[in-house]
Amino acid sequence: MTIVRMPEVATGTGSAAIQSWLVAVGDSVSAGQAIVEIETEKAVVDYEIEVDGVFAEVLLAEGESADVGTPIAVIAVGGQTIEDAIKEAGAERGGANTSTDGGDAVQSQPEEALSEAEQRAERPARPAAAAASAPSAALAAPASAPSASEANGADRDRGKRQFVSPLVRRLAREQGIDLTGVVGSGPNGRIVRRDLEHLQATKAASAAAPEQAAAPVQPPASVQPPAPVQPAGAPQHDPASTGHGSSFTDVPHTGMRRAIARRLAESKATVPHFYLTADCRVDDLQALRAQLNQAASVKISVNDLVVKAAAWALKDVPEANATWGDDAIRQYDHADISVAVALPTGLITPVLRGVDQLSVTEVSAGLRDLAERAREGRLKQPEIEGGAFSVSNLGMYGVHEFSAIINPPQAGILAVGAATRRPVVSADGEIQAATLMTVTLSADHRVIDGAIAARWLSAFTTRIENPLSIII
Amino acid sequence: MPKRRKLQTGVDWIQLESTAADWRSADPVLLTNILGQLHLIRAFEETVLDLAGEGLVHGPAHSSIGQEAGAVGSIVGLRSTDAVNGSHRGHHQFLAKAIEHVTGGKLNLEFLIDEPLEALLRRTLAEILGLAQGFSGGRGGSMHLQWLEAGALGTNAIVGGGAPVATGNAWAQKHAATDDVSINYFGDGASQIGSVLESMNLAAAWQLPVAYFIENNLYAVSTRADEVTADPRFSVRGQGFAIPSWRVDGMDPLAVHLASAEAIERMRSGEGPAIVEAEVYRFFHQNGPYPGSAFGYRSKEEEGQWRARDPLERTATELMKLGIVDETLVEGVREQSKMTMTAIAEAMLEPDPEREGRRRIRPELWPDPAVVDTGIRSDGSELDSLTTVEPADHVDAWRDVTFVEAVAATMDRRMEQDERIVVLGEDVHRLNGGTNGATKGLFKKYGADRVIGTPISENGFFGLAGGLALDGRFRPVVEFMYPDFMWVAADQVFNQVGKARHMFGDNNTVPLVLRTKVSMGSGYGSQHLMDPAGIFATQAGWRIVAPSNAADYVGLLNAALALEDPVLVIEHVDLYGTKDRIPDGDLDYIIRPGNAAVRREGNDVTVLTYLSMVGHSLEAVEETGIDAEVVDLRWLDRASLDWNTIGESIKKTNNVLIVEQGSRGPSYGGWLADEIQRRYFDWLDQPVQRVTGREASPSISKVLERAAIARTEEVVEGLELVRAGFGGRA
Repeated sequence: MTIVRMPEVATGTGSAAIQSWLVAVGDSVSAGQAIVEIETEKAVVDYEIEVDGVFAEVLLAEGESADVGTPIAVIAVGGQTIEDAIKEAGAERGGANTSTDGGDAVQSQPEEALSEAEQRAERPARPAAAAASAPSAALAAPASAPSASEANGADRDRGKRQFVSPLVRRLAREQGIDLTGVVGSGPNGRIVRRDLEHLQATKAASAAAPEQAAAPVQPPASVQPPAPVQPAGAPQHDPASTGHGSSFTDVPHTGMRRAIARRLAESKATVPHFYLTADCRVDDLQALRAQLNQAASVKISVNDLVVKAAAWALKDVPEANATWGDDAIRQYDHADISVAVALPTGLITPVLRGVDQLSVTEVSAGLRDLAERAREGRLKQPEIEGGAFSVSNLGMYGVHEFSAIINPPQAGILAVGAATRRPVVSADGEIQAATLMTVTLSADHRVIDGAIAARWLSAFTTRIENPLSIII
Repeated sequence: MPKRRKLQTGVDWIQLESTAADWRSADPVLLTNILGQLHLIRAFEETVLDLAGEGLVHGPAHSSIGQEAGAVGSIVGLRSTDAVNGSHRGHHQFLAKAIEHVTGGKLNLEFLIDEPLEALLRRTLAEILGLAQGFSGGRGGSMHLQWLEAGALGTNAIVGGGAPVATGNAWAQKHAATDDVSINYFGDGASQIGSVLESMNLAAAWQLPVAYFIENNLYAVSTRADEVTADPRFSVRGQGFAIPSWRVDGMDPLAVHLASAEAIERMRSGEGPAIVEAEVYRFFHQNGPYPGSAFGYRSKEEEGQWRARDPLERTATELMKLGIVDETLVEGVREQSKMTMTAIAEAMLEPDPEREGRRRIRPELWPDPAVVDTGIRSDGSELDSLTTVEPADHVDAWRDVTFVEAVAATMDRRMEQDERIVVLGEDVHRLNGGTNGATKGLFKKYGADRVIGTPISENGFFGLAGGLALDGRFRPVVEFMYPDFMWVAADQVFNQVGKARHMFGDNNTVPLVLRTKVSMGSGYGSQHLMDPAGIFATQAGWRIVAPSNAADYVGLLNAALALEDPVLVIEHVDLYGTKDRIPDGDLDYIIRPGNAAVRREGNDVTVLTYLSMVGHSLEAVEETGIDAEVVDLRWLDRASLDWNTIGESIKKTNNVLIVEQGSRGPSYGGWLADEIQRRYFDWLDQPVQRVTGREASPSISKVLERAAIARTEEVVEGLELVRAGFGGRA
């Protein structure tokens, strides 16, 4: 008797659904035969069985979904009757959990430490085979913070051990490099020094692939059923398919990309965002900045003043300087502010600590240092954790206004747009030119209510429009 | 019918008894000394047994009660420059010698114990109890009881272990042109063991002034003397080695003295060794305060008979008969001895706060646990005045020599400069420099007194060399023809020489060099072909050098000869004939401990190796093209390893390959790999890899021998294994 379990069709999916059964109870089945179509967000694949036998029982109906590793069917093998197979399976399942680590003839392919992308790259025409041989370990709920040590812990949770040489563990820890999904080229799939160097080179290199435009799935006719299901809202680009005529480049997921994906998706899905927008008059701010830079040897940017103003506002409205916890809202005494730094291959938000206690010069130097080291991949783990508030500035790209996604577990993020000359209506009805900068506060409504957010934004705007209050 | 003629040894074997006339004509000073010493020792031993009964003696207490006359009779009258050593049951000999030293051979029975004597008794008891004020800082205790100043070389916990040491001491006494003597005490139980028999042979062959004093107390623990040998008159052994022997009643101190005097006279006149056998009886069981009869191997009756012959009683009776002492005086002697010992013991004890009615040792008297590992070896300061040369940096002229010529040349230079250096080994004085020519020319130049061909008795002659080193007037260089012979000599190599400095509280220096040659590839088979490095590296007291080339050999041997520690110098048959070179005109430089040499710089793997495998490693690196850093360790013992060079290299390359030739079991790299993974774990990109021979010791068949050992091909395999560990991106 063999129990067929929900396969991990694509690395990183925790569950999948039965689209349709291709065999019926009582049918003879042989190794290599596709018995069921499994559907995930991204694809529908045929699942091929590995034993000879008689299909004995359907455990998961069409349209139903289940976690990877859940039993979905029973096969009678070795001349066993269907009734006996079902009985045996029932006994086994009665005591078993849905752990994917159970020894299972169907899932007995040795675990390959290949990344999803590499599997696809190697076997683009046979996604079914690739899926069948995918490691049986299921992804647990994604961890909230991307760190190398936690990645290893998550690996343990998944029941799959990532082999990393002691040297690489240390270097990765020191440099805050996430090894999730990194492929080891050493014996037993061990991640060795050269793999880390390769990873670092990839991160630092500016071989940024152009954004893949979402393209309709072009399933191979030989494998896909005639009417492929396209889950609404899911990314349409499926690198596994060999579309006719469209050339493309696969950019393998780095650890950073996965981390960004996971965290921000979780943030958008679970944090009740609301948004407040304000226009700030920045003529005085810009004038002050020019004056300061005449005297200062290190140039102060508008963003430095913005970050400092944000810190002031957090002091003015301390309820906004907080994070959501299971049992309490944690209010911080100091303003630790994360600043978004764009990298060629992604985004990182190092934290500048105690901004409320730093002078503008110190803020400027600190931000510059963090950005530089961020671009070189030399940030330390403590520097990318923490903080209750973020500032993201896309003004240098000419963006007028945007809303940012909160970095969990923070409670707020300020999106800063470009300062532009615009017409304003003065008190006496005249149209004048002024320089305005539009900012949008995204706030976590679990922690920050509307009024608090509004007070914060007002405090911020006041500081910006009275810039001397920033530098006192 | 064959012709038969009885052969005679022509060597005396005498039973000696004292007569009334002897007692009458003996010097009263001698007799009162004897009486006093007997009482002091008896009181001391009783105190030890009392303390043992209270559980305050940590370890065994082997009492000499009943046997005092054997010690006192033979030792009274010896000089401080004469030497004694004894066995595990050696308090009486130690005390007799030390009392003789402290009192100059004069005891005043009325005022028996003055301050120096009291101090001696106190320090001896302290040492037995393991206390800091003891002679060896409490480390030696009862069975390693030593006071070099008094000529007490050290009791020995290994049965027969002291015989070679005493023999070596006698060798030093003779060759330093003195007429001092050494006496080695042991019992009936030791008279069958190899080290004793080998020592007797050496002493007789080389006419050494050493006496083997056999205290026949009829029992070895519970085994009777007549159960373990065919003729239980143990002095009969003298007949087999051409050593004159005496048998005496050991309960009669005068008889013992008279016999010993004859033996000592023979020795002082340079005629050679002697054996004295004294029948004695220990009143108590082997160890502890109970009589042997309590353990069932002898009867109370027998014990009673011997007690009636108590030497203290006998001596007192004789002296009173002669009117030299009266009963009061005798009691007074006894009283003074007991009171002094009681006071000494009490001063070391206090009531035990945790056990009502019991005593404990005063806590402040214990040695500081922090010193547990001090004094294992010298601090190396004896090298300070010598010049270091790194041969790789030598820019002046070179002299072409073969490796083995460098060995002989360095030995010659050192022997010329330092008269104390002597060479011992099998055939070192013949065959034009021994079996490989390492001592070529030395016998001719320095003669039989300095280049000594030994009988085949590794334990005996190595132990004799150990005795020389401990004495210090001579610095021995011992050759073991093959490393595996260390097993034959294992007790003297490891238990005696290797432990002496630490065990006796860092009061000894042990300047001994042991040379041997790795012979893998010679076809001599399983019992001849080991690499000794691994086994010696387990011994804290030994240093180890392994030169891979002639110029290094000069510097390493010079350092070894200068150090006050035992040093193993490993050579290799493959290297002996190689054409090599040494700095011209300088045979005096040293290479200090803690100095490895980087033979090839590289970035991808650290190869740690030594001796002939350095060459094989370099060949293998060329062949594989791997960018390896090859480190020639040179100093191999744990204390002398160059961690600076090793650490820097590992931090650079992140990969380690330890290369050696011999079989895996006794291999050297095991402990090194363990230490490396502990120190450099976070720098390692793969496990520490190793090249060694196979599991079993190499056998004689040429093909099997080659398969059993490592050479260049095996290092190539090892390097490829490392390369695989670089991963797929390498």
